[in-house]
Amino acid sequence: MILTETEETVVKETQTGVSKPDAIKIKNVTVSFKSKSNGLYTALHNINLDVKKGEIVTLIGHSGCGKSTLMNTISGMVAPTSGEVYANGNLVKGPGPDRGIVFQNYSLLPWLSVFQNIYVAVDSALKDLSATEKRELVEKNLQMVHLWEHRHKLPGHLSGGMKQRVAIARAFAINPSILLLDEPFGALDALTKGSMHIELLKLWNLDNRNKTIVMVTHDIEEAIFLSDRVVVMNNGPAATIKEIVDVPLVRPRNKKSIVHEAGYMDTHDRLLGLLTDKFDINDID
Amino acid sequence: MKKILTLDTLYTILSFFGSLVILGIIWELVAIVTEHEIPGPASTWVVFKELIAEPFYDRGPNDKGIGNQLFSSVYRVFLGFGIGSLIAIPMGLAMGSSKFMMRLFNPIVQILRPVSPLAWFPLGLLAFQAAEGATVFIIAITSLWPTLINTSFGVSSIPEDHKNVGKAFGFSTWKYITKIMLPFALPHMITGLRLSIGVAWLVIVAGEMLSGGVGIGFFVWDSWNGLSLEKILIAILIIGTVGLILDKAFSAVQHAFAWENK
Repeated sequence: MILTETEETVVKETQTGVSKPDAIKIKNVTVSFKSKSNGLYTALHNINLDVKKGEIVTLIGHSGCGKSTLMNTISGMVAPTSGEVYANGNLVKGPGPDRGIVFQNYSLLPWLSVFQNIYVAVDSALKDLSATEKRELVEKNLQMVHLWEHRHKLPGHLSGGMKQRVAIARAFAINPSILLLDEPFGALDALTKGSMHIELLKLWNLDNRNKTIVMVTHDIEEAIFLSDRVVVMNNGPAATIKEIVDVPLVRPRNKKSIVHEAGYMDTHDRLLGLLTDKFDINDID
Repeated sequence: MKKILTLDTLYTILSFFGSLVILGIIWELVAIVTEHEIPGPASTWVVFKELIAEPFYDRGPNDKGIGNQLFSSVYRVFLGFGIGSLIAIPMGLAMGSSKFMMRLFNPIVQILRPVSPLAWFPLGLLAFQAAEGATVFIIAITSLWPTLINTSFGVSSIPEDHKNVGKAFGFSTWKYITKIMLPFALPHMITGLRLSIGVAWLVIVAGEMLSGGVGIGFFVWDSWNGLSLEKILIAILIIGTVGLILDKAFSAVQHAFAWENK
C-alpha cells in the first residue's frame, strides 16, 4: 500500500461561490422500530439535513445514537416511519444504483473472488453495459485501489485494509453520485486507517469532487480530516441532531500539517466538547 | 511437489492397522468365549475367500454372487437417496427462505421424521405393488430429512450482511439465489447429504430383509436361514466398509465446497 501524505492529484478548482444543488434532502425524518420487549422504539426523531452535491459530511455520535439508522434511510435500507428522504431530487423508496454503500464489516461475499465481488455488483447495478465494458469497469476500479494483482483471491485471504479497499472499489465501480460509508475504517489499525483516508480523498478528487459522501464515524480526527461538515448527533433513543460543525480547513488537506492549521484545534475541541462531558478523573462523580 | 508420505500420514496408516488388529482380537475373544458358536476371523476368512473367488455368479433369483448382491444394494441406495434429495433440496430451500413455508411444513417434517423405515414398508408395498419399489421408497422417505433440515437451516441462517449486499446493489432474485443463497447454503446442504447417505445405507439392510430378492440385506437373511454365520459376519464387515467409503466420499465433496477454509 502506498502511504502518501497529501492528496497527490491536482484538482481543477470547482467553481466556488456558486451554490450547488442539494444531493440529499432529509425532511422531518422519524424512525421507529417495533421492539419485542417494550413496544415502539424511536431511534431518530424529526431529523432535517441537507447535503450539497460534492460535499463530504460525517455523522458522529456515541454508539447506538442512530447515526447508522440515519444513513440507512438515505441508502433506502430503512424506510422512515414519517418524513421523507430525497436523493438527487428523487424520493428514496429503496436502495438504488445512484447510491453506493460501503458497509462497516466490508460485506464481501466470501465465496467470490475479489474480481467477482465487484463484477456481480456492476452486473446488477449497470445492466445496460456490455460484458466487456463491465469487465473494464471492474479492472479500472481495482487498479484504482491497487488490488488488480489480487483479483483472483478470495476475501478470506485479504487483510482488513485490502478488504475495505475492495468494498470501496465496489461502491465506486457502479459510479454512484452519492457514496454512503458506514464506519468504513472502524475495524482498521491507525496506520492503515490513515492511508485509507488519503486513498478515499484521492478517489474523490479523481472524480473532480463531484461525488457526495456521507460517512458515519466515531473518530473525531477522521471526521475533521475528511469532511466539510460534521453532524453531531444526540444520544438515543429519539436521537436528534445536536449541532452541525463546519470544518474551516482548505483542501487539499495534509495529514501531517493539518493539526497545525488555524481552526483545527478549535474544531477538534468543539467536537470533543459536544461528544464528551468528562475530561479528567476529577469529572467522575 | 507435495510430500505424500509425511510422518503424520504414516501414523494415520499405522493406527488404522492397529484399529483392525484390536477388532480382530475382540472378535477372536468372542469366538473363544462362545466356543466358536460365533465363528472367529480365521474360519470367516476361509468362507470369504470362497465368496470372493466368484463374486458375480448368477444361479437363479435366490442364488447370486456377493458382488451382485452388493451392487444391487448400492444401486437401490443411490436411487432412493437421489429421489429423496430431489424432494429434500427444493423443500429445504423453500422452507429456509420463507417463514411462511417453514411454519406450514415444519410440523409435517417433525411428525414424519422420527418414523422408522419399517413402518413405511407396507405403505410402499401398497403404493408400488412391488418389493423393489417399496425398498426404494423407504430409503427415499427416511433419508431425505437430514438434507431437508440442513438445507433449510443453511438458507435461513444467511447473515444480514450478505443479504444487504444483494439489496444495496440491486441483485435480481436469480442473482440473489445463485450468488448469495446457494453458495452460502451449499456447505450445509452437503453436510445434510452426507448424513442422508448414511441413513440410506443404514436402511437398506432392513428394507432388503423384508423385500427379499437380491441385495446385501437379503444376503444376511438368506445366510441366517442357511445357518452360515461366517457369511453374516462377512456381510457385516462389507456393509461397514461400504458405509465408510460412502461417508469418506461425501466428506471429500464437503471439503471441496467449503469456501470457509479456502
